Amino acid sequence: MTNSNILLRVEHLCKEFPVDSGFIAKRRGTARSVHAVNDVSFDIAEGETFGLVGESGCGKSTTGRCIMRLIEPTSGKVLFKGNDVASMNKKELKDMRREMQFVFQDPYASLNPRMTIGEIVSEPLVIHNVMPKKDERIEFVRGLLDVVGLNPEHINRYPHEFSGGQRQRVGIARAFALRPKLIICDEPVSALDVSIQAQVLNLLSDLQQEYGTAYLFIAHDLSVVQHISDRVAVMYLGNMMEYSDWRSLYAEPCHPYTQSLLSAVPIPDPDIQHSRKRIILRGDPPSPIDPPSGCPFHTRCPIAQAKCSQERPELREISKGHFCACHYAEPNPIKKSSVEL
Amino acid sequence: MFGLGLKKKNRIDLRDTPVPEGHHLLEVNDLKMYFHTQDGVVKAVNGVSYTLDRGETLGVVGESGSGKSVTSLTIMGLIPMPPGKVEGGDVLYRGKSLLDMSEDELESIRGNDIAMIFQDPMTSLNPVYTIGRQLSEGMRLHKGMSKKDAMARSVELLKMVGIPNAEQRVKEYPHEFSGGMRQRVMIAMALACDPDILIADEPTTALDVTIQAQIIELMQELQQKNGNAIIMITHDLGVVADIADKIMVMYAGQPVEFGTRDEIFYNPIHPYTWGLNRSIPEPAIDEKHPLTPIKGNPPSLVDLPEGCAFAPRCPYATERCRKEMPKVYTTKTGHYSKCHYSADEAFVRANAPETSRTKAQRIVELKGDM
Repeated sequence: MTNSNILLRVEHLCKEFPVDSGFIAKRRGTARSVHAVNDVSFDIAEGETFGLVGESGCGKSTTGRCIMRLIEPTSGKVLFKGNDVASMNKKELKDMRREMQFVFQDPYASLNPRMTIGEIVSEPLVIHNVMPKKDERIEFVRGLLDVVGLNPEHINRYPHEFSGGQRQRVGIARAFALRPKLIICDEPVSALDVSIQAQVLNLLSDLQQEYGTAYLFIAHDLSVVQHISDRVAVMYLGNMMEYSDWRSLYAEPCHPYTQSLLSAVPIPDPDIQHSRKRIILRGDPPSPIDPPSGCPFHTRCPIAQAKCSQERPELREISKGHFCACHYAEPNPIKKSSVEL
Repeated sequence: MFGLGLKKKNRIDLRDTPVPEGHHLLEVNDLKMYFHTQDGVVKAVNGVSYTLDRGETLGVVGESGSGKSVTSLTIMGLIPMPPGKVEGGDVLYRGKSLLDMSEDELESIRGNDIAMIFQDPMTSLNPVYTIGRQLSEGMRLHKGMSKKDAMARSVELLKMVGIPNAEQRVKEYPHEFSGGMRQRVMIAMALACDPDILIADEPTTALDVTIQAQIIELMQELQQKNGNAIIMITHDLGVVADIADKIMVMYAGQPVEFGTRDEIFYNPIHPYTWGLNRSIPEPAIDEKHPLTPIKGNPPSLVDLPEGCAFAPRCPYATERCRKEMPKVYTTKTGHYSKCHYSADEAFVRANAPETSRTKAQRIVELKGDM
């Protein structure tokens, strides 16, 4: 990958949310913080889909929001087309957001119930003053509704008149209204039924083919991410554990966390499901307020050794383009390890 | 809720009566539950039938609004009536109708013989009582246990579901537990009285996959130990592939297909089951196949189509499908489907999705030809 077609580069992004940060706690020195995102780096090329997976609370949504600067990152850099998002002023930020849009998880909460869907979809155009003429705008929105599979005649209806899947289509139409270069999709299909989920995934793929938009696709469902992504990163407790192109990540997961995550997803095929070896992790993920020392995963890791609790493993290249943050990672370390499960 | 333990009456515990000859542990016959609302009659459950025996697991699959939860709430007698009304059918538990029972009789069954785990572990525990008290409640009510005995048993139950430091944890409140832990508490609570039937309504939907795997493993372990039956309601075909012996696929309040796990996964005969199968992203390693979603949206339950409920979205629908409600077609093994064309073997063979078994077979045949 050459530098020229890198659209977004995230470097050492950190985000901490303070808890117990009042006056007294500060005086006593007991102020603590939630380490939501901890030193995350990756890049996204133009027209690429980058998947971000992990369990709830792993910091994947926070990462997405920091990139858009919906929340301020604590440290680190977010370079969009070479410009640092974190140091932009208001005007620059507005211009940047013209090319970076967001699709939210909950199609019920992310549409204003008092606006018609025509108003919702055309709002970005109004804000950025792209189409000053109203007729032109309406014509454009009708076209857009047709593209996302909604009836253009419904332009004057309100969100409550639509089903969940249709509302998510409205959210997608709104995100595409400005023809952005990058869309951050934060769990866009997790609130939808499987048959509707497939419709929305296909729509996202079709739109990408047509407009060449890059996606940062955030989801907890591994099979959905596998289906849509070119490259996939796995996060755990705010840290990036492993990333690579989808094929090598799913075929040869290196990190013990990725392996257990993949083996925990039930496969809708009884023969395969009952014959494969499963790794069931014990316990819950630790609290991000007080993350474990060393490797964040060592408390639940089946192959953890003494070194893991002392030294934080850095991401290292296992095979070409396949990075993994584990001291003992090799393709399928569990099989080769002498540690009994 | 108040005066726990005082209510022990001279009840006959149905669990101790043997299942009468010719009956199953649980039989649901053509159950119909309608809601009478201002907008019209919502046919939430429209002719559901199945049987269940001890040690078996029934998976109920369907999209939201397909009536899978209402079916089990009806069995438990938890639907407020009105607006709900049972318009037909019956539910027999050990040969005795649950629908004819008085509230008093039902109370002795609910939570005792038939217990339920709800979807959301965050809202189904009472935040102002300790975990121990909530666990004890059922045992004191149904078994007439003393406070002390019930608390001791609660500790045992928490240990059984894998909560460390159980002696301490019984004294804590729900907010001190994580989501997975709370769902374990819900399971412990449901199993407190050693039920015959455990109804689990999307027990893992709100949980992460690694925690989901733990919970499913736990439910299977406990089933092997106690021999109870499980009704697993879920929208995740992966979960039913893992746990179910029999599967019922529901659509718009009706069961569209029912069969053993192998029949539903490797020999499905209803176009809706096919559609569901094709909608799921395949865990492919070599190449990605495009998804084939089911077109359109589920119908409104107030205004169901005249013929087959699935006809407006079915790619194979004919004029007959739109006009005439299909009859249930049952095979010799009890596998049934509600489609005009399920009996047509050529149609099924031509249109059913490829499964890992047919694929393996095709490869063998290909090799044989060479």
